[in-house]
Amino acid sequence: MARGDAEFVEFARAASRRLVHAAYLMTGDHHQAEDAAQTALARTYASWSRIREGDAYGYARSVLVNHLVDRWRRPIREYPTEDLPEQRADDVADAVATRRWLLAILGALSPRERAIVVLRYYFDLSEAQVARELGVSVGTVKSTSSRALEKLRSSGSPAREVHGTCR
Amino acid sequence: MNELEQLREAMRATEWTGRASIDVAAVMRTGRRLRRRRRLAATGVAALALAVAVGVPVGLRSGGPDPSRRAVPAASAPVERPTPTPTPDLAATRAEPAPRPIGTVVRSGIRYGADERVFYLVPVDVPDLPQVTIGLVAGRRTATGELVSDYLVNDVSGRDRRPGFHEIGYDEPGPSRPAAPTFGYFVGPAEQIIGTVDGREIVARQARWSEDAQVVIFWFDPKALPPGVRLDGIIARDAHGRRL
Repeated sequence: MARGDAEFVEFARAASRRLVHAAYLMTGDHHQAEDAAQTALARTYASWSRIREGDAYGYARSVLVNHLVDRWRRPIREYPTEDLPEQRADDVADAVATRRWLLAILGALSPRERAIVVLRYYFDLSEAQVARELGVSVGTVKSTSSRALEKLRSSGSPAREVHGTCR
Repeated sequence: MNELEQLREAMRATEWTGRASIDVAAVMRTGRRLRRRRRLAATGVAALALAVAVGVPVGLRSGGPDPSRRAVPAASAPVERPTPTPTPDLAATRAEPAPRPIGTVVRSGIRYGADERVFYLVPVDVPDLPQVTIGLVAGRRTATGELVSDYLVNDVSGRDRRPGFHEIGYDEPGPSRPAAPTFGYFVGPAEQIIGTVDGREIVARQARWSEDAQVVIFWFDPKALPPGVRLDGIIARDAHGRRL
C-alpha cells in the first residue's frame, strides 16, 4: 500500500466515528449517517494528495455537512436501532431519554440550522468557522444558535422529559 | 448545568460505543472512481461529444461531425451527465452564419491575450420544443471586435424561461481554443449564485440579460473552478439571502 493510502486508512479510522455521529445528529438515522460519512470520506480520498498535508479532517467535515444540508431534506426522527448509545449516564433509560430529547430539539430545526448547531456545539467551531464552512454570514450563525437555544429552553431538560414520560 | 452545556453534553453522551461500520476499502474504491472521473473530465474524454456538439462555429470551420449525432448538455442543478438529444437548428445549419446575439453581449473581464470571454444569448430552434427559443453562448470578442462562438448550451426539455437553473455549460480544455468557464443561466431574482464542489463553495459572477431581467447569466472564474470540473451542486439566493 502506498504511503498516502496508508495515511488515509489511518485517518479514516480515526475520523469516521465522529463523522458518523455528526451525520446521525443531522439525520436521526444511523444507517443514513454511515452512508453520508462514507461519501464524505470517499470525496476526501479523491482529493487526498491535495489535502493530506492540510486540514484533512476539516475538509471531510465540511464535505459531510454540506452534503447533508444539500441532500437530506426528510424530517428528522428517531429510527429504531439495536445499538445503544455510549453509557455515560447512570442507566440505559437516561441515555435513551437524552437521545430522544436531543433528536426532538434537532428535529425542530431545518437541515441548515441543524448543521450550524452540530458544527458549533458538537465540533466546537467558532461562529466565524461555521459561517465559512457553510457559506453563510456570522449573523446567520448567531441567530440560528440563539433560536436553537430557545427551543432547548422551552423543551426542558432530558431528566424532566424522562419523568414526564413515566407519569 | 445551563442549556448550552446540556446540549453539548447530550451530543457527546449519545456517541456510539461500537465501531463505526465504515468500509475503508469501499471508501477508497469509490474515491478512486471519483478521481478517475475528474481526470477524464479534465482531459475532455468524457465530454468530447458534448464539446464538439455545442462548439458550433469551431465545428463548422473544421468540418464537424454529422449534425444528427450531435448532442447538447443536460446538466442543470443537480448536476447530471449529458444525454444525447435533438440539437438546435443552429448547430445543424452549416451554411448559415452564426446567429446574431439577442440583447447585450456580457463582458466577463476574462482575457486570452487580445480576446475577451463574453456571454450572449442567441435564437435557437429545437425540434418539438417550441418553448425553447434561446441558447446561451460562451464566446470571445477578438481584438477586431469580431464575436467568436465557442460553446452553446440550450434547454433540451420544457421551456427556456422556467424559473430556476437551466442547462450548464461544461467546456473542456483543448488545443484549438481557450476553454470556456463553467456557465449557464438562472431565471428568477438571483442575487448570488453559489456552486459547490467537494464541499467548497464558489460564488459565480453574474449579469442580468438586457432583454429580460429575470434571466441571470452566470459563470465561474476559471481560477476558482477550472473548466471541466463538474459541480456537485448549485444554488441561487435572493437579495435577502434566501435560497431560491
